[in-house]
Amino acid sequence: MNPIGFRTLLAKETRRFLKVPGQTIGQPVITTSLYFLVFGFALGGRLRELDGIPYVRFIVPGLIMLAVIQNAFLNTASSLFVMKIQGTIVDLLVAPLSVGEMLGAFVLAAMGRGCLVGAVVWLVAAAFTGVEVAHPLWALAFSLLVAATFAALGLVVAIASDKFEQLNIVPTFVLTPLTFLGGVFYSARTLPPAWAAVTRANPILYMVEGLRYGIVGAAGSPPEIGLAITIGFLALAVGGAWWMLKSGYKLRG
Amino acid sequence: MSVVAAVETVALRKRYPKVEALRGVSLRIEPGEIFALLGPNGAGKTTWISVVCGLVRPTDGSAAVMGHDVVREAMAARRLVGLVPQEVVFDPFFTPREALRFQMGYFGVRPDGARIDEVLAAVGLSDKADTNARELSGGMKRRLLIAKALVHRPKVVFLDEPTAGVDVELRRDLWAYVRRVRAEGATIVLTTHYLEEAEQLADRVAVIDRGALIALDRPATLLARHGEKRIRVELGSPLEALPPPLAARGATVDASRRVLECPFPAHGVSDLLCDLAALQGVVDLRTEQPSLEQVFLALTGGEKR
Repeated sequence: MNPIGFRTLLAKETRRFLKVPGQTIGQPVITTSLYFLVFGFALGGRLRELDGIPYVRFIVPGLIMLAVIQNAFLNTASSLFVMKIQGTIVDLLVAPLSVGEMLGAFVLAAMGRGCLVGAVVWLVAAAFTGVEVAHPLWALAFSLLVAATFAALGLVVAIASDKFEQLNIVPTFVLTPLTFLGGVFYSARTLPPAWAAVTRANPILYMVEGLRYGIVGAAGSPPEIGLAITIGFLALAVGGAWWMLKSGYKLRG
Repeated sequence: MSVVAAVETVALRKRYPKVEALRGVSLRIEPGEIFALLGPNGAGKTTWISVVCGLVRPTDGSAAVMGHDVVREAMAARRLVGLVPQEVVFDPFFTPREALRFQMGYFGVRPDGARIDEVLAAVGLSDKADTNARELSGGMKRRLLIAKALVHRPKVVFLDEPTAGVDVELRRDLWAYVRRVRAEGATIVLTTHYLEEAEQLADRVAVIDRGALIALDRPATLLARHGEKRIRVELGSPLEALPPPLAARGATVDASRRVLECPFPAHGVSDLLCDLAALQGVVDLRTEQPSLEQVFLALTGGEKR
């Protein structure tokens, strides 16, 4: 056991993103807040309600989830990949840090960034929609579990990637489309049956719906289903990252 | 009871798809030694260090640090080592002081400001302690690597070409610091580009070539066994023909035919001087001590690097 090593890596990973707050916190907050203002107010006037929820409130959980997913993923993915490319990963590989300590420190730091950006987005939205949260524990559980899932996925992608281009495939071609098509801006119930079925095959939908239940108190699917799906993906992502760190895949020669 | 080796590898092999980087290297390095690992580029020195430090997994054989197997007891082995990697790597987000704090922490040592100041002073980085690492010169970055390898007081320090690109004055300061680290009880294992460095610092030297150990001894023993003291004569005008007595001694002349070199005999130096008296227009004469470089070239039969 190396608790000092774990705390040091956690502190270092946290300070890394806090050193460039404009890039790691400010930029995603501005982008996501603009989505809220443009979609919430421009479309909100026409759509009024979705699933019985005022549209401007409907999109808030989805936008928070968008921020949490992207920032948790990017934190681990960029940090570990840059360490690999620059060679500073040697500092960690030589040190007496166990797989659990490394994985835990990277994931917790990324959860910190994801949840921090998510919280600021929520505060910006709350200025327009009010601060009430219907089920705080559900909201907290979904935020933390989804952040952990995508933080671990970021590690997997960073370890597997050899080039920046490969690193960008997952956020560009998988995460962003799945998140935007995961019920952030619309309800699956409003779609034609075929498209609704496609949307329901998207796991991110259930994560967004879970957070929507936590914040707004109503959602298109029960939070228990979302929780089970999130835990399942969390187990897969953590298991993949664990195996890669344990086996030294693409890390140790 | 025998003393536990600081580092011991037994029949260590590392095979990559296209090359066998280590072909059964067995080495035992005693606690408190300064041990130099020499060899041409691609000989396997860095692979050997990488296996011992846990960066590369061995294909066969074993490696242990202070008796802890680097695979089965990886955490215990890693707690004891410090590594200066060959490549200059740095984290552009942090200052040298922050980098050293993190390094101590990774190794389970509580960050200690006084220790960090001491190591920064030892490598001449005190005035750059709070400067972002990306603003350091190449030599400074290399010194920061040395500081990182030493700050947590490792029992065994691996220095993979630690002074490449470092100026002569600082190199000598670093040698003095390496000796001090050894005096405090650490074992030092180094590879170096500068054979003079090995000659000055090392208690023992191992030469690796094509993944195999080809020589292992004290520098003085290697010099006595493989080195050759020579006499060098410089002439004012080109030599037309090598006098037969000197040719019989194995003397050679260079391309300008103004410099003659001859093996220095163990006995009968006066006879050699008589033979040299046949030369006309001698402008300089000196003896050259055998060097580790000469030994290295004799053993590997090629270029130093």
